[in-house]
Amino acid sequence: MKILIADDEAVSRRLLEKTLERSGYDVTAVENGKRALEELGKLDGPRLALLDWVMPEVDGPGVCRAVRTRSQQAYVYMVLLTSKGTKEETVLGLESGADDYLTKPFNVEELRARLRVGERILLLEDRLVEARENMRFRATHDPLTSLLNRGAILDLVARELHRSHREQKSTAILLGDIDHFKRVNDTYGHVVGDEVLVEAANRLLGAVRSYDFVGRYGGEEFLVVLNSCDPHFAPGRAEEIRKSISNRVIQTAKGSLTLTMSLGLLLSSEWGPRSVEELLHQVDNALYEAKAAGRNCIRIAKPATMVEPAPAVLPQSVRLRR
Amino acid sequence: MNKNEESLSGQVWNLAELLARVDNDQELLRDLLTIFKEDFPLTMRSLELAVAAEDFKNSARLGHTLKGMLSSLGGQRTAAAAARLEVMASAGETASLKGALDALKHEAARLQPELDAYMSEVRH
Repeated sequence: MKILIADDEAVSRRLLEKTLERSGYDVTAVENGKRALEELGKLDGPRLALLDWVMPEVDGPGVCRAVRTRSQQAYVYMVLLTSKGTKEETVLGLESGADDYLTKPFNVEELRARLRVGERILLLEDRLVEARENMRFRATHDPLTSLLNRGAILDLVARELHRSHREQKSTAILLGDIDHFKRVNDTYGHVVGDEVLVEAANRLLGAVRSYDFVGRYGGEEFLVVLNSCDPHFAPGRAEEIRKSISNRVIQTAKGSLTLTMSLGLLLSSEWGPRSVEELLHQVDNALYEAKAAGRNCIRIAKPATMVEPAPAVLPQSVRLRR
Repeated sequence: MNKNEESLSGQVWNLAELLARVDNDQELLRDLLTIFKEDFPLTMRSLELAVAAEDFKNSARLGHTLKGMLSSLGGQRTAAAAARLEVMASAGETASLKGALDALKHEAARLQPELDAYMSEVRH
């Protein structure tokens, strides 16, 4: 485990360095508080630190305070080394953010024991962070497909619409529904139905850019959000997404299946500032029209006042709706 | 024995304590003594200048550094003298500070031959 020693006094620093190396630590030793902060600020920096109280540049309590104000960092367990012995100074040291303190000259066994306490605290912290991240993932992702769940994708739609309006860009919203999915479930069973959903999710993810979003909107419905999407290219992008589902058979436990998807497409720049609910209602209507038109195609939701561009610029499977 | 000496406690050099601290690692011990031999005179010189200039802040800081260095090496009496100097400097007591510096130099003069003797002994 990595550990930082910060002490301006060379004898103590060397003694600590050697003692800790012998205990199996990967030691970085520095001679002032400024360098200590640099080391502790590194992405993969030490998470255990022994800090002398009195140091040039920044003293030990100053280092503790600075580290504790950094919120986006893994917890650092800090032990202040002090020859100061009064209760007031001990309180001051702990109040600055130190986890523990040791009086110099230190006893080797006590030092090791206190650092083991630090390691246990860090281990517990790691487990807590991991548990919290797992809970966060479960709260925002669909357990079957691992896509964003309905709540999370709707939050993202709202955020992206707000952002694109502010930046005067266009966000493309696609609502896709697997055609005849009920038939898959009824014919092959729910296990195969689940396989189909997982494969569709993977294909959708593979068809978008890393900064676009895909979520499971409902049973076999998926919502895709294409950020900063040029309105002229959006129908082509939607077509690529549609083909990503239909252009290859899906291998399942019960054999290979052909799958298609109908999609509604909406471009935020064409609708102006509208509520998320209204835009989703409009893209849902467009999806409904794609289904009514024979499935495996795309319909674009357009406000009633818009003029339809020449049909030649759109792929055959893409048509406008009003 | 003067008044300053009387109030200082502990051994001039507690080798047993130091050996325990370094886990009986003779090489490390020599390493520490070498660092001490280089750093101690420089720090003492800076301290003498600070005391002469009545620079209490730097006197306190250097006294603190010496206290840490000496206590790590088991130089208990000299460390105690450095600690007292640090207190005097922090309190801004000019007259006492000069007395504390003399006491520190006196204790250091007793400690250094013991360290030198040990270094010479382990070298052979």
